[in-house]
Amino acid sequence: MKTIKNVFINFKKYSFLMKQLIIRDFKVKYKRSVLGVLWSILYPLMVMSVMALVFSNMFKFSMEGVNYLVYLMSGLIIWNYFSEATNNSLTAVVGNFSLINKVYIPKYIFPIAKCLFAGINFLFTLIPFFLIVLLSGNSAEGTKCAINIYYLLIPVIFLGALMFTIGIGYFLSTVTVFLRDVLYIWGIVLTMLNYFTPIFYSLTILPVWLQRIFRLNPLYIYINSLREIVIFGNRPTALYILAGLGIGFVTMIIGMIIFRKKQDKFVYYI
Amino acid sequence: MIRINNVSMKFNLGVEKDNSLKQMFIKILSFWKRKKKKKDYFWALKDVSLDIKKGEVVGIVGTNGAGKSTLLKVVSGVYKPTEGSVEVNGKISPMIELGAGFDGELTARENIYLNGAILGYSKEFIDERFEDIVEFSELRDFLDVPVKNFSSGMTAKLAFSISTIVDPEILIVDEILSVGDIKFQEKSKHKMMSMIEGGTTVLYVSHSLESIEKLCTKVIWLDHGKVKMIGDSEKVCGAYYKEIMGREKKRGKKE
Repeated sequence: MKTIKNVFINFKKYSFLMKQLIIRDFKVKYKRSVLGVLWSILYPLMVMSVMALVFSNMFKFSMEGVNYLVYLMSGLIIWNYFSEATNNSLTAVVGNFSLINKVYIPKYIFPIAKCLFAGINFLFTLIPFFLIVLLSGNSAEGTKCAINIYYLLIPVIFLGALMFTIGIGYFLSTVTVFLRDVLYIWGIVLTMLNYFTPIFYSLTILPVWLQRIFRLNPLYIYINSLREIVIFGNRPTALYILAGLGIGFVTMIIGMIIFRKKQDKFVYYI
Repeated sequence: MIRINNVSMKFNLGVEKDNSLKQMFIKILSFWKRKKKKKDYFWALKDVSLDIKKGEVVGIVGTNGAGKSTLLKVVSGVYKPTEGSVEVNGKISPMIELGAGFDGELTARENIYLNGAILGYSKEFIDERFEDIVEFSELRDFLDVPVKNFSSGMTAKLAFSISTIVDPEILIVDEILSVGDIKFQEKSKHKMMSMIEGGTTVLYVSHSLESIEKLCTKVIWLDHGKVKMIGDSEKVCGAYYKEIMGREKKRGKKE
């Protein structure tokens, strides 16, 4: 109980540092670029346009009665967030070693700062995303998306995804300290996961037994909940939303426990 | 104020560690061949105990690699001791490596906030003391220049100004009074003296026996991680000087 209280006190005390670290990441990222922070919106928009072009025109992926563009985008924004946040978390501890070795700072701040940084970038991508939701589609084909009351559930989905990513981020930043190979291995894992997550295809094209396995992918849960609301205007079942939250929470706690157990050994390994 | 109980600190030697699969594989292979394992660790600190009371100014002397900086890092919480424990009551301001938190891409202004946050200051506090920091650092004209374009002296001046703006209860200093030009050195010495007179507890590492003798009430002599002598500053400094110069003389005779 006391440690939990301490964590909260520390969290308050160091929230300013966290803010500074995130601001630093932003400033350094867009240093000397003419468009600056605008890239946070433009970059994903352009990458998504390329993907949309490739999958809907070249490979002719399409789904009956479904706004494929929104389908693709909703998968991509969550995927891109996950991929950016975990990639940044890999070096969250290793990359800040010059600090960790010299000044006392609670180390758990670094992975969270990286995930929040990616999270803010993610919020920027929501602007083009919702523009596409509103502007795309064709009412004659029934692919027009409408804003509905269930949009209120979207932040809950994102919260689940954020916690899930923070958990993975903690785990990755810890393992990287002891085993630098993870830097490369994670790239391979991400590529694999990218194809195993139904981002540009629908689960239904897979055999049933494979569908069952794929449904267990937490990223799919978040993406699918978002799609249910945005594309189909359905309310995802409470159980489904709770599952997303629960998985996120448990992952975060496990990641934190691993990080906490190992953090005193970091200084020996860098 | 600070209580160090039988602290030992073990380090692995060398840069190459088992932090890649290749290394692990090699290790397994060499185990097969029953190669004798080399001793690849050493004790940077061995069974160090020390009590520091409020307001005391404690100097630490010793040759390079004697464990002085390690001891400071253990006290400031950067390292967790392998054995033993450290109790600290009071807010610490560590001045171990000045400017450790600087980001070269950011301007001096931005770095003041970043580095202040790293030292645990709040935003309000930095806002309030911003002018003082700028004034002390003598870098007003360079506030919006990225720190990577600063000379090393300028960087050090900025860092010193940020870390001394607080009135800490415990000040940990690792050989930083020789920062900047002569004028700034004088200024930083004054600043230091006024902090000491204000009742701050100080842990001070320096190779300048003169300044240690002048500032400190108590001196510890570390040798290969062990406490060799502890006590009155004049006595310890004298003994330390004699031993070191004695070693030199002996070596001189041999050659």
